[in-house]
Amino acid sequence: MAKKLKLSELVNEIDETLQDRFAGETFWITAEITDVKKQPDKRWCFLKFIEKEGKIITTEIKGVFWSNAFANIEKFEKLSGQTFASGLEITCNVRVRFHKRFGIDLEVLEIDHSYALGKLEQERQLTLDRLVKENPSFIRLVDGQYFTRNQSLELPLVLQRIALVTAPDSDGQRDFKQEIGKNQYGYAFSVTEFLTQIQGDNSSQLIIQKLKQIEASKENFDVVAIVRGGGSQTDFKPFDDYELSKYVASFPIPIFTGIGHDRNTSIVDLMARQHKTPTKVASSIVEHNFNFESEIIELKDRLLDSAESIMEKAKDKLLQIKRTVKAYSPATILNKGYAIITSNDQIVTDPKNIKTDSEIKTLLKNELIHSTVTKKSKNELDL
Amino acid sequence: MNLTYNQAYSKLSKLVDEIEDDQIQLDTLADKVKQAKELIDYCETRLRSISEDVTTSLTDKKPTTKKKNNK
Repeated sequence: MAKKLKLSELVNEIDETLQDRFAGETFWITAEITDVKKQPDKRWCFLKFIEKEGKIITTEIKGVFWSNAFANIEKFEKLSGQTFASGLEITCNVRVRFHKRFGIDLEVLEIDHSYALGKLEQERQLTLDRLVKENPSFIRLVDGQYFTRNQSLELPLVLQRIALVTAPDSDGQRDFKQEIGKNQYGYAFSVTEFLTQIQGDNSSQLIIQKLKQIEASKENFDVVAIVRGGGSQTDFKPFDDYELSKYVASFPIPIFTGIGHDRNTSIVDLMARQHKTPTKVASSIVEHNFNFESEIIELKDRLLDSAESIMEKAKDKLLQIKRTVKAYSPATILNKGYAIITSNDQIVTDPKNIKTDSEIKTLLKNELIHSTVTKKSKNELDL
Repeated sequence: MNLTYNQAYSKLSKLVDEIEDDQIQLDTLADKVKQAKELIDYCETRLRSISEDVTTSLTDKKPTTKKKNNK
């Protein structure tokens, strides 16, 4: 019978063997991660690295980030706009460690960010390609630009009845409502909220459900706003989801997105009308209505201008007539030194009607002269 | 007045076109100006006070029964 060992002796030997082989050496590996458990307060992160053949996991080993490497995770999330979570494939530099009680694991020292980003970009591109390929009736790619049915929907002249899709008690919800509420023109809006979780697994499905509710009463809405606050929570994944993107692209009410990520554009953004932040979504809605009102005001100005000019022209015409009438009025004539002669209270227009010895009255500017006609003769003045 | 913004806008711009036409008769002018002003007021007012129909249909789950009770 072979020599019996104490457990610690065997484990010590394993430890020494591993030390001999791995001490001081680091390795670059590429693997999928799962069971990610972050402890931000301690700046630790535990996870597992796995490798699959089809759906079967063939290799699995524990991994850990200690506080010296934890910043890699934060940087990854910032650069990619994604949560560092299960399902990702990463390339990282690791050291093999062995602990007599907790066993073997890989301590992560560094993440290769360019690999991670490239991988994500690749997945995103696959989704985009699939959207175009499988939905030619409402998603088209022309010169690197995506065109969807939703984007081609004509906006109503005024956007007043808003369906707001956002997370309850979120920055996005607050920013949007604040901007809409305080608009400087005093426009009225009706905002109906469709609140749902908007980050993390499954949230793309939840957003789809909310959109379905909106579609069911679509005649009640002018526009849909999907907004999310920025800040540290930058999980972009739900907005790169195929099903959600497809639904947005074909949605029958115009959708404005304010998903709050300045660096990236999600696929949902590409399928709708992107306005970056919740505040910008709200202000663009207000601006849209202002543009309409400006047109109304322009029509009003044109109306008043032409009504005024018509009245002005009519007045001018009237004035002209008045002048003519005045020019021919007896008062004007008398003022010029002419006289009016009456006989028997009749204006004399034909001198034949005046007989010698008859009484006539001569009406001058200020006086009436009474005379008796003593003689009549031919007018030989050359006027 | 119960028009959509589209209807109000197209009516209004038609009226303004007519008023701008030199051939307009003076006795129809006043009426057209009045109509146009009403349309402008309608749009301006509606922009600032959403019509009641809209809000009830959105906030009330059973708008038909509630409306009956109100009247």
